[in-house]
Amino acid sequence: MHEKVLNLLETGKVDIFLGYKMMAGHPLPHAFGRHNPVEVQEMILGPARYPLEKLAVEILAARPDLKIGILARDCNRRALNVLTVHQQVAPGQVQVLEVSCCPSPLQRHADCSSLEAKEFGAGKKEIGIDNNLTPDRLEAMEPTERFSRWMYEFQKCLKCYGCRDICPVCFCRECSLEHEDLIGTGDLPPEVPIFHLVRAVHMAGRCIDCGLCEDACPVDIPLRLLYRKVNELVADLFDYKTGLSLEQPPFSLLFDKTAQPAAAPHGA
Amino acid sequence: MYKLVPSVCSYCGTGCGVLFKVLDGKLLGTLPLKTHPVNEGKLCIKGWNLHEFVNSPLRLKAPLIRINGRFAKVTWDRAIRYTAEKFREVMSQHGPDSVGFLASAKITNEDNYLIQKFARAVVGTNNVDHCARL
Repeated sequence: MHEKVLNLLETGKVDIFLGYKMMAGHPLPHAFGRHNPVEVQEMILGPARYPLEKLAVEILAARPDLKIGILARDCNRRALNVLTVHQQVAPGQVQVLEVSCCPSPLQRHADCSSLEAKEFGAGKKEIGIDNNLTPDRLEAMEPTERFSRWMYEFQKCLKCYGCRDICPVCFCRECSLEHEDLIGTGDLPPEVPIFHLVRAVHMAGRCIDCGLCEDACPVDIPLRLLYRKVNELVADLFDYKTGLSLEQPPFSLLFDKTAQPAAAPHGA
Repeated sequence: MYKLVPSVCSYCGTGCGVLFKVLDGKLLGTLPLKTHPVNEGKLCIKGWNLHEFVNSPLRLKAPLIRINGRFAKVTWDRAIRYTAEKFREVMSQHGPDSVGFLASAKITNEDNYLIQKFARAVVGTNNVDHCARL
């Protein structure tokens, strides 16, 4: 792995390689460069998980002259595909070095286990929604019960915008969640469930199920579950699997207005 | 060229871990530090936008003293001397309880200890409070 990175840097295929390194006692994302080849030996694969492709796109927006490589788990790869489809990055502009992740029967070894089931308190099971549920099991509930459980989850929202800010595929210059006519900015509590449903709708054909939004949520709203349901609809109705290919999504008609090449990073 | 710099949020006393995105010496954005024991990868809206005040054109970068009704930039030495003189003037006229001390969530326990010690032992007042109660 270290040799591959060194090779990318030395042959000039990339100017910066985004990987991880232990710094100040934490596994942190780090930009490795050609000027310090010894440092590459200190690169690690985990265990922390950051949206490296989002960082790469942000760097390229400010410095289009640079060539960037990233350490890519499956979720990073899918996100990069979505970003390419939405013209935020040119095909092949970001080099990837794959890491094995997400354990499955076919793939026993994993450098990343961020999406494994997490334990939640009894309160969530009684009146809220267990983040480990699947859309099917959630739909087996009575609609009124399901609604009240979702509302319990949504009303906890602190409106920190963390879900949007960490999201690797949130790149719009103008965000609906900050649009005065749609959602009052600066007002607390947020309008539930509109705030969350607006975001959910915008995740259709975009969410790559990386779970970073749920990781960043200070109140454990099961966001990944919500967006999984949205993308199940996209898969069922349009036969489109988000992030698995460079194929245009079924919502291409909307693109003229939403996607602009090389977006500058928004507030995040 | 591009750096990610770990730090601690400077807004409140919680002390969440943050990670600054720095490109060519300019702060691009803030991320939560995912392995930090305090915030475990989560931030509030202020923390997420921590970089904004650093880049703000309204940010004060030098002490200001009002001279003839207008604010003028002065050196720290002059600002501190000026403040000390004014404090002394007020205290000599109205006694030590005419002034108060506000400690900060953003400094160390030791610094906070020093502030209350200074207020009580040097100035002679119990008017000590903390910015978290403002």
